[in-house]
Amino acid sequence: MYGIGVGGMLPLILSRTSAALSAQALQGTSVEKHPNRILVVIELSGGNDGLNTVVPFGDPAYYRARPKIGIIEREVIKVADGFGFHPSMVGFERLYKDGRLAVVHGCGYDHPSLSHFSSMGFWHTGVPNGGEPLGWLGRLADATYPATSKNVIVNLGNSQSLAVRGQQHSPLVFDDPGRFRRDGTDEEKHALAMLSESRTTSNATLDFLANTAKNATESSDFVRRASTSYRTPVDYGQGGGLAGNLQRVAALIAAEMPTRLYYVTYQGNSFDTHVQQADLHTRLLMYTADAVRGFMDDVARLGRGDDVAVMIFTEFGRRVEENGSLGTDHGTATPMFLVGKAVKGGFYSRHPSLTDLDDGNMKMTTDFRRVYATAIKEWLGYDQTQAVLKGTFAPMGVFA
Amino acid sequence: MIRSLVRPLLAGLVVCAVALTLAARVATAPGPASWADDLTPITKADWNYDRAAHLIERAGFGATPAEIERLAALSPDQAVARLVNYESIDNSALKPFDESGIWDRGMDPFPPSRAEAVRLARDRGEGLGEKMLSPGSPRRLQPIVDKFFYGLYANQIETQRLGLWWANRMLATPRPLEEKLTLFWHGHFATGENKVRDYRMMLQQNLMLRANASGRLQDLLIGILKDPAMLVYLDNGENVKSHPNENFGRELLELFSMGVGNYTEHDVREAARAFTGWTNDVLTYKFDAAQHDFAEKTFLGRKGTFNGDDIIRIILEQPVTGEFVAGKLYRYFVREELSPAVRTQLGREFHESGYQIKPLMTRILLSKDFYSPASYATQIKSPAHLVVSTYRKMGLRETPTIPDFGRMTGGLGQSLFDPPNVAGWAGGRTWITPATLLQRGNMFRDVLFPDVKNFRPPDRAMSATDQRVGERLAMGMNITEATREGDAESNKMIDRDEDYNTRYGGWAGYQIAFKRTKLIPRQPMSIDLVSMVEAAHADTPEKVVDHFLRRFLRASLAEKDRQVLVDFLKSKRMDERSLRELLYVVLSLPEYQLG
Repeated sequence: MYGIGVGGMLPLILSRTSAALSAQALQGTSVEKHPNRILVVIELSGGNDGLNTVVPFGDPAYYRARPKIGIIEREVIKVADGFGFHPSMVGFERLYKDGRLAVVHGCGYDHPSLSHFSSMGFWHTGVPNGGEPLGWLGRLADATYPATSKNVIVNLGNSQSLAVRGQQHSPLVFDDPGRFRRDGTDEEKHALAMLSESRTTSNATLDFLANTAKNATESSDFVRRASTSYRTPVDYGQGGGLAGNLQRVAALIAAEMPTRLYYVTYQGNSFDTHVQQADLHTRLLMYTADAVRGFMDDVARLGRGDDVAVMIFTEFGRRVEENGSLGTDHGTATPMFLVGKAVKGGFYSRHPSLTDLDDGNMKMTTDFRRVYATAIKEWLGYDQTQAVLKGTFAPMGVFA
Repeated sequence: MIRSLVRPLLAGLVVCAVALTLAARVATAPGPASWADDLTPITKADWNYDRAAHLIERAGFGATPAEIERLAALSPDQAVARLVNYESIDNSALKPFDESGIWDRGMDPFPPSRAEAVRLARDRGEGLGEKMLSPGSPRRLQPIVDKFFYGLYANQIETQRLGLWWANRMLATPRPLEEKLTLFWHGHFATGENKVRDYRMMLQQNLMLRANASGRLQDLLIGILKDPAMLVYLDNGENVKSHPNENFGRELLELFSMGVGNYTEHDVREAARAFTGWTNDVLTYKFDAAQHDFAEKTFLGRKGTFNGDDIIRIILEQPVTGEFVAGKLYRYFVREELSPAVRTQLGREFHESGYQIKPLMTRILLSKDFYSPASYATQIKSPAHLVVSTYRKMGLRETPTIPDFGRMTGGLGQSLFDPPNVAGWAGGRTWITPATLLQRGNMFRDVLFPDVKNFRPPDRAMSATDQRVGERLAMGMNITEATREGDAESNKMIDRDEDYNTRYGGWAGYQIAFKRTKLIPRQPMSIDLVSMVEAAHADTPEKVVDHFLRRFLRASLAEKDRQVLVDFLKSKRMDERSLRELLYVVLSLPEYQLG
């Protein structure tokens, strides 16, 4: 009896909490042209081998540099003149043929760092070779939403990414939604719920903390229930953490979470394929392509297909030449991907030369912040990209 | 100001005499609003228990009521002098770090990657102090691969032990400002073990920062730019005449001394050239003349055949350096918002004093601004401060290890010896997310109700995959079988190189590391709250709540919220368990996040 009662109550509780959350988030926001749109950023941590992802099969230099691990031409999923996807990326082939996938060649920045740590920091902050303490998505949220808006950013991961760190906004960060909770006995939790009401004092930091506490009390239940109750017929593939995390994003979108920016990472340095990379890389790319394709289908099924776009990046590509261990070492320029119904599918920018190299590494052709600017301006409809990105970067005309 | 004074007074009148005295006490805690941005020193007449408590919270890690009363009995000058001139205080009871001795000769220099370790070993027939197995043996390189993983994991474990050692220093030191400043410099000159991979360098840097913590800025700058951990962290070994690496010069100008906007890209490149050849021979600074660019440079408008020391000298001549560093110290000790006038004033004084840190700290800690409502109980405690100060206020002399200190602060975004990047911890509101705010309370529930049975020791933990390998080996499987995971393809990959098996190496590396690192003691908190409240003569729920608030909270709690706590305790017997439940609720308050 009790179980049934709770089950019956659940949607009502969810939609009520959701309405409350939506009302909070949308207060006083008018800086963007498209307030319903959502950006999901996926981080391929570890330095994805771009040359074996978007394969330049038309360039003999590719096969000269990679006699052992190069993807042989007849296996490449050919989608454009001289370029194609790794054979495991059937999901991307589908998205590309539907005109929902844009590939931006040669993304990077000047004076590239080959350290995972430094380079990832540069992509997170959007300020290469600088000491910027805040992330680009954090600064974006600060610029577009008042500090009182809740849950503008959700970061699925075991720790908060630098990319989502803002001054005003505290992103909702969780890994296991089941653990996003207040511990304690019912009495303790009841007392703490009463003590986590908003305050209006002369101490602005205290008011911020109390608001966050209230939000935590409300959102943790919401997130836990939304995640555990979500069911979908869409197949996200086998894959690792990404499929699960994207499904959690879909669950939150389905539950009408007011979040605009989602940030999803791979665990550890998954894509750091120094040694015998073929099988591992095949798996990672298959997981990624399947999960992204599944996610886009799922949000379309939810009726939000027009409102969701995905950006995929990694901190650097890998060296052109394969190493002696059937793998690849840290490199520079690498493709980025934008996915969504509003995306004008195709290839953008110019692929870097495989022979005119800088110390064995490709010279980037596209500053990655142009792709950030594209998402901010063309997709989210916020024009002041210069303030967020701390420099002028021309959008690329990817979104219709 | 009148409104904020009257409101708690009115609230107090309505309730009862106890609340009235509490409200009155709270209302006098910070000085008047007009004190904000006023750098003149407070006088003896301005001095009281709450302000002494504020001082020790910021210039240290908080204190017990008895310790605060002793500080309040001094004059403000004496109290601040006692904290700032700490060298005269005997701290010989603090033990040096107890090293496990994980390093042996062959491990230096430690290769940057497993791939590189293997490559070197193939060339030389040995590596990391281990010999290749004789020709014909299976997996000839396995000892080197095992040793490589051992090096990684043993350094991680040793760094966890180092973090706990430091936490215990923060907790037990009679010189709290020394540790508080050392923590500041660790964030300012951020360096992380995850890249350095050598706890000895991290320890050496920590000792250098502590030795110079309240000395002069130039000694800190020279010390850090010749510090092996920093040289490795910023890749200055790759900063050579033929191919200067700008990282070092850039971080020096941008993060360590002047701040953006006060120099050009050209200055960055020229500074980088001056630091070419500054490198390290494992634990020692080394000047490599062959890699140094001796030619002329132009830096901040000066011309000369500058080396790194010249660059530091020229940077220190810039008044903006005084402003930048003094401003950052102010934001760490006082509050995030720094008025331009205060920045200019403190910066000028710091510059003119020859960058002496003690007079600057004295100036800040005695100023009316420091005790103004804008500063008082407005700072979000860093995770390390939150945990250490809670233990100090409880009166503990040693850090409990169940739950683990490193996991507690790490889960909240602050691992000692592993700042998130070269910019250090951003601090302030960035500490707080809805999930970390809940976690900030939850972790104290684990402290108050320790789960000894299910505790996973941080220094003897490995991944589920490594654990599976060990279980299968114990069942008698061979290495190939034991390292096979569900997917046949992935198994082939792990064991395909016949010279070694990576997954076995990971497991084996842990086994050696577990043998050769000293155990972190397994010690839950030992505290007796019943005796604590009895000693404070707190024999009613109201008095117990007031004692906890006075002992733990710096921000004032609204009367209705205090009443929630009183009602919570009224529904229970005042036994140890109930007191711990009440304390958990107090330590989870939004107010408790403020110091």
